[in-house]
Amino acid sequence: MNIGLFIPCYINELFPEVARDTALLLRNLKINLEIPRNQTCCGQPFLNSGYESTLPQNFDEIFEKYDFVVAPSSSCVSTIRESNIKSSNKTFELVEFLHDILQIRDLAKNYPPVILHNSCHSLRALLEGAPSELNIPYFNKVKNVLGCKVLEAKRDECCGFGGVFSVKEGFISYIMGKSKLDDLLNEENLKQIKDTPIITGVDMSCLMHLKGIADKENIKAEFKHIATVLKEAHETL
Amino acid sequence: MKHYELAVEFYKKQGPRHDRALWAIRQKRDKAIKEVKEWEKLRQQASEIKDYVIENLHNLVDEFMKNAKKEGIEVYFAKDAKEHNEIVLNLLKEIDAKKIVKSKSMLTEECGLNEFLEKNGINVIDTDLGERIVQLRGEKPSHIVLPAIHTTKEDVAEILGENNTDPTYLTRKMRKLLREEFLSADAGISGANFLIAQKGYAVVCTNEGNADLGAILPPLHIISVGIEKLIPSMKDLGVFLRILARNATGQAITTYSSIFGKKEGGRRVIVLVDNGRFERLKTEFKETLKCIRCSACLTTCPVFRRSGGHSYRYVIPGPIGSLLAPLSDKEEYSDLPFACTLCDSCEMVCPVKIPFSKQLREMRKYVTNENIIIKFAEKSMHSATVFKLFSKIIRLTPKPFLEKITNEWSRYKALPLIPKERFIK
Repeated sequence: MNIGLFIPCYINELFPEVARDTALLLRNLKINLEIPRNQTCCGQPFLNSGYESTLPQNFDEIFEKYDFVVAPSSSCVSTIRESNIKSSNKTFELVEFLHDILQIRDLAKNYPPVILHNSCHSLRALLEGAPSELNIPYFNKVKNVLGCKVLEAKRDECCGFGGVFSVKEGFISYIMGKSKLDDLLNEENLKQIKDTPIITGVDMSCLMHLKGIADKENIKAEFKHIATVLKEAHETL
Repeated sequence: MKHYELAVEFYKKQGPRHDRALWAIRQKRDKAIKEVKEWEKLRQQASEIKDYVIENLHNLVDEFMKNAKKEGIEVYFAKDAKEHNEIVLNLLKEIDAKKIVKSKSMLTEECGLNEFLEKNGINVIDTDLGERIVQLRGEKPSHIVLPAIHTTKEDVAEILGENNTDPTYLTRKMRKLLREEFLSADAGISGANFLIAQKGYAVVCTNEGNADLGAILPPLHIISVGIEKLIPSMKDLGVFLRILARNATGQAITTYSSIFGKKEGGRRVIVLVDNGRFERLKTEFKETLKCIRCSACLTTCPVFRRSGGHSYRYVIPGPIGSLLAPLSDKEEYSDLPFACTLCDSCEMVCPVKIPFSKQLREMRKYVTNENIIIKFAEKSMHSATVFKLFSKIIRLTPKPFLEKITNEWSRYKALPLIPKERFIK
């Protein structure tokens, strides 16, 4: 199995440790991995801002040769899925790949409790879990792959990041983020945690937005991408 | 003012009240749809019926007009809002009407009928409780099913000149006042939720029975309705009646679901309105014509819940409004498709499966002009080498300057620390 690792551009620039942990985790799982050096962006910032973009076609040229493309971001993966390119159906979000293709479960069962932020694209675009809007049986692939105690927010609504939204409507974006943060750190959740709460998720963009609020308002929480949690957990297995 | 300014204003005034009230409705809705084990199948069915309707709209309009006439209903076809308003005014002039009672109709809002009739000396009384509240406040509805959701019981007491803020007391008072209007009105105007092509019937769903009073008491009943409300047969109605109220408010069915044919001892007139709908069929936004105005996309929208309906400035707010408003005025409403995080919640609750995220992205494209700098940026991002150059520039930019150019972010949130090195070097 020949895997191409897609590192979303903003992760490459701002969160290289997430990229590193994704690569290390997959290598530790004995996955044959290539990281094409000429990769750039999936085109989402343009496509979501009302502009044309052929970046998905560029993506295709780089990643077409792989059996699977794996990326630590549900949002970039859903852009590729919706772009109707050759790589659309073989591009997977990291947890989705671990869950559906490698059939991995309970990778972090010895890990301390984490609070999971279910990103919109993870939940509603990639259906990595059952969104509360639908009448389908409950499931959550991220929880299955983690296997440790996973706490969630009461509402599975958007954190308010929304890419271009966070700069066009900073205030509402902040209000949404603050209420998401309060919900993730609700009393019932905190009762079940001893140390600094760890908030995890499959999208670093949501976590960056939430961390931005937490940092500005001195709210105590640690933000760790799911790749980091899984890599750390796997190393101590 | 644009959406983001009005949103700030609304939230600063209301706080989380509006969000909490609507989230409670969302939860009621979730509970109600989970009682129907075949819910997702029903959505699929409803979506397929509506796909059929938009593919066969011309034929269905013809079929409906023929069958409604056969049934004993007068039918008019108005190509736009102006024509609709004139038809309604002429009908009212014929009987020298001075006062009409109106039940909820988003179409008459779309056509600006109230203002038009008032200008022509006809007194219009909105009879839906919420609509009457906003009418007395001199406002527009802020939600299509819950028109006064932005108001409080204190606001209602104030417009009625009451000190007692008990909701039951206020509702009874309003009911008494409205009863007098019903009994003295010259005509009733309502919308319709569905039109049955095969039979020529109009179906009106309300919780207050106000449409029924307006349809039955005065000698003339006018139904103003958009052509997209057509469904083929009575069999299809069953699907939609099971869906509509559950998805809107979490009720199993609306309190009154009335099927109107010929009016006994009076006239019933249906004005079918196109107002750009046939044109829209030819565009990439034709799927918006599937909408049954259940309002679930408004109620679930995390932005709408915090910004309130008036921030959209259009008769239909929320996600569906953000698709409809720019089609009526591209310049004025170009901000609306961006008043959205593309979270997909609207798409998940939509009972007719309008592909909201796709359509909202299309709408963003529709309202956005080509930009040479963006085009250049997009092209340059095809190259990893050029991308790396950008990355270097950003790393050399002083933090205060970065904070300045990301002002809308930095006002509320700390900027992430930019690491020295990228991952792919």
